[in-house]
Amino acid sequence: MTASGSRLILPLAALFFACFVAPLLVLLALSLHSDVAMKAWTIGNYAKFFTDPFNYSILVDTLLLGVKATLVCLIFGYPIAWLCARASARWQSVLLFLVILPILTSVVVRTFAWIVILGRQGVLNQIAMGLGLVHEPLRLLNTEMGVVMVLAQVQMPLMVLPILTVLSKMDPNLADASRVLGAGEWRTFWKVTLPLSLPGIIAGCILTYSANITAFVTQSLIGGARLIYMPLHIYQQAVGANNWPFAAAISIIFMMAVIAVVAVLSVFARASETYGRA
Amino acid sequence: MTSSIERHSFNRRTLIKAASASTFALAAPRLSWGQSKTLVAATFPGTWSEADRQIILPAFKAQTGASVTQSIVLGTDQISRLVAAKGNKPPFDVAFFDAPQVIDAVRDGLIAEYPAAQSPNFKDLLPAAQNKWGPKITMQVIGIGYNPDKIKTPPTSWEDLWDAKYKGRVGLTALNSQLGIAFIAELNRIRGGTDDNFDPAFKALRELLPNVGAIGANLGAFATLWQQGEIDIAPYNFNFVQTLKAKGVPVEFAIPSTGPVGWSTSLHVVAGATEPELALQYIDLHLSAAIQEQMLKPPFDVIPTNAKVKLEGAITKSLAKTQDDLAKVRTFDWAKLNPQRGALIDRFNREIKV
Amino acid sequence: MAERNSIQWDAVSIKLVFGLLSAVALVFLIAPTVIVLITSFTASQSLKFPPQSLSLRWYTALWDADQMQRAAWHSLVIASWTTVISVVLGTAASLAIARSRSPLLRAADLVFMSPLLLPALAFGFAALIFVNKLGFTPSISFIVLGHVIVCVPFVLRTTLAALSQLDPALLEASESLGGSAWMTFRRVTLPLISSGVGAGAFLAFMASFDNVPVSLFLADERSEVLPIHLWQQIETNLDVRTAAASGLIVMFTLVLMLIAEKFAGLTRQMR
Repeated sequence: MTASGSRLILPLAALFFACFVAPLLVLLALSLHSDVAMKAWTIGNYAKFFTDPFNYSILVDTLLLGVKATLVCLIFGYPIAWLCARASARWQSVLLFLVILPILTSVVVRTFAWIVILGRQGVLNQIAMGLGLVHEPLRLLNTEMGVVMVLAQVQMPLMVLPILTVLSKMDPNLADASRVLGAGEWRTFWKVTLPLSLPGIIAGCILTYSANITAFVTQSLIGGARLIYMPLHIYQQAVGANNWPFAAAISIIFMMAVIAVVAVLSVFARASETYGRA
Repeated sequence: MTSSIERHSFNRRTLIKAASASTFALAAPRLSWGQSKTLVAATFPGTWSEADRQIILPAFKAQTGASVTQSIVLGTDQISRLVAAKGNKPPFDVAFFDAPQVIDAVRDGLIAEYPAAQSPNFKDLLPAAQNKWGPKITMQVIGIGYNPDKIKTPPTSWEDLWDAKYKGRVGLTALNSQLGIAFIAELNRIRGGTDDNFDPAFKALRELLPNVGAIGANLGAFATLWQQGEIDIAPYNFNFVQTLKAKGVPVEFAIPSTGPVGWSTSLHVVAGATEPELALQYIDLHLSAAIQEQMLKPPFDVIPTNAKVKLEGAITKSLAKTQDDLAKVRTFDWAKLNPQRGALIDRFNREIKV
Repeated sequence: MAERNSIQWDAVSIKLVFGLLSAVALVFLIAPTVIVLITSFTASQSLKFPPQSLSLRWYTALWDADQMQRAAWHSLVIASWTTVISVVLGTAASLAIARSRSPLLRAADLVFMSPLLLPALAFGFAALIFVNKLGFTPSISFIVLGHVIVCVPFVLRTTLAALSQLDPALLEASESLGGSAWMTFRRVTLPLISSGVGAGAFLAFMASFDNVPVSLFLADERSEVLPIHLWQQIETNLDVRTAAASGLIVMFTLVLMLIAEKFAGLTRQMR
């Protein structure tokens, strides 16, 4: 590749520097000051965050929320990818279409639909009461379980697609060999398919996890005022309390947390790739 | 290989057609929407944004030919945004404030003095409503909202909220809205606190929490809780109750035994407005007897301030017979409460966090 | 014989379990969209499902929803500009990245993709602070720039994938026959990666149209965008017109998806 060809990257790089890196650096700078005019340096904002249980409990709640929602995504998303990989080309397109459609519909629209579904008189309760499963309507809105459910639905396509990519590229001879050697379908799945699809699973988990914990609209519309997660906390401090330096500090801490989780998962991803190759 | 090139190649003609179509589309806004003027005016969520949209906007368009973009923002958030935009173009030209915000706005130089001389309807207002910084257009009152289908005997006192039979049925709203702040302030007063000491209010809140079914993060979410039947009893604003009732939601308003609590609401021209004449005409429209009579009718039941408009309807039934009764509604010392707002919100969020 | 039966049962049971989980998941995925569509046709003022009676009144009410229409127009304009800029800059960058082994370019790739992983809300807030510090007021141009940052990763992903399928022999052949770099690009590369670019453009367009976290900070009343307007309506009014607007968005998305599927083989790009 010629040097002039490499220069094609410059326009986008320049844009990213001006519109992405620079603002983030300013954010970092603001978080280390005590006022918006940036006259006094301080690490007070960070100290305030970590010494106040209210603040770091929000961080912990958010990280745990991500774990729960990602698990649900995995349990329900893997089977879809598995089914899709085995389907004929036409059905694959149909299934994929159905999987992608939600993620392309506005998140506000989808979350709003969930308010209609999860309410006391909503669809889910109508079905549950109608089937006699419960006698009192379930409280799903404004609960963590409700948030987990909606997050899982909203982000599930991000889990399905990477797993599908890996499953489609998997060598079918390996599964055949397993069967020829006498292993049943389940054994083949646990011992051959699942380990080989690990890179896809981890890629899906990375995308889903970061999407789940940063999903502001869903967390606040479904969670309500009592369930405070990091995105709402940032918004409340930035817009509600007008405390920009503190909000900046929370933003930086949040970004660091996401980067840390993604980095850890990426290490697993690289390890799992060699597993398949060995 | 060749067939895929053929299939995927961009036909030069289609490319040119697409390019010219999109350039036209991208340039079009300057053509179509540039014709009429637009005024950006702030309004409160719920009753007021709907009343404005249905009554004021068409009347304004008929009178001036200009359309209005509504900025549906709470009073305190309006103040934040005006402060953030100071020195630059303000995000909206007309501010909609509750009494507490007017104090802060005047102090920070966010609003202009109201040009009463150019406002024909100003002189028809009740004397108390004629304020040099901006006319008072209505009054808001809070009391107890309850679901008459589930609660057969109307509640009579704030203490009813703590009644064990309402476990899990009580609703609250966050302190970002005036409704929330007013409730906490009234709670504090009833439980013996003062403007300097809010401990009694928060102690009472802690005792209330087991009864609380849900807390709305904002007024819209709060309305949803009523609409979906998630809560049956809560502190609520008289006008919001009427608007929800008109939508078929079972809700009624009851005045607590300690008396109703309220505050005035007013309109102002923002300092440095981009369309000051339109802003003035917009506000003046709100003051006219004809418009206030329309706003008085259900489902808005907006309390009028024009002396020529007589009280009627739900107001006389549930609230007050005459304007003199309304003048007796208790209010708070906002100058003392305003500086504590941030701390109160913070304390409230900590108490309610699950 | 027993072993063959156990293997048969194995095969059936795995299909059953996975089939059941998939069915639940698919219902879970599609139900909200379908419910919004159906609820938007309700004749009543409240959002109960199933609606007691049907009517088009909320769709006709959209005719008078001036502010919603303005917001929709802003969203369309912003999404179009975002897509154009993302495609041009993203394709150029993909060409550079795909053909180079330099670690600097690999690092750049990572940076370009990071907006997909980092909290967009934090970035939106940072963008607002930055614009403020520079002394500007937020406007449509700034919103477009902010959107490009969060939407260009989609173009990069699909274009890089398409480029990786490209046989370098074709490019060598074109150059050895005397074609300039630009001509090689226009006549050989571009047609072959066009569906990848097209899919990326489509995804970037939808991502910009639906974007909330960046628009939340950079958009104000004069540049109001549709998702924020809808959200505000949900938060303030619970208006059924919101359901009708949502219904329109769903139909709009469906139509665009079908077009993208036909012309750029969208689902094929996703595999």
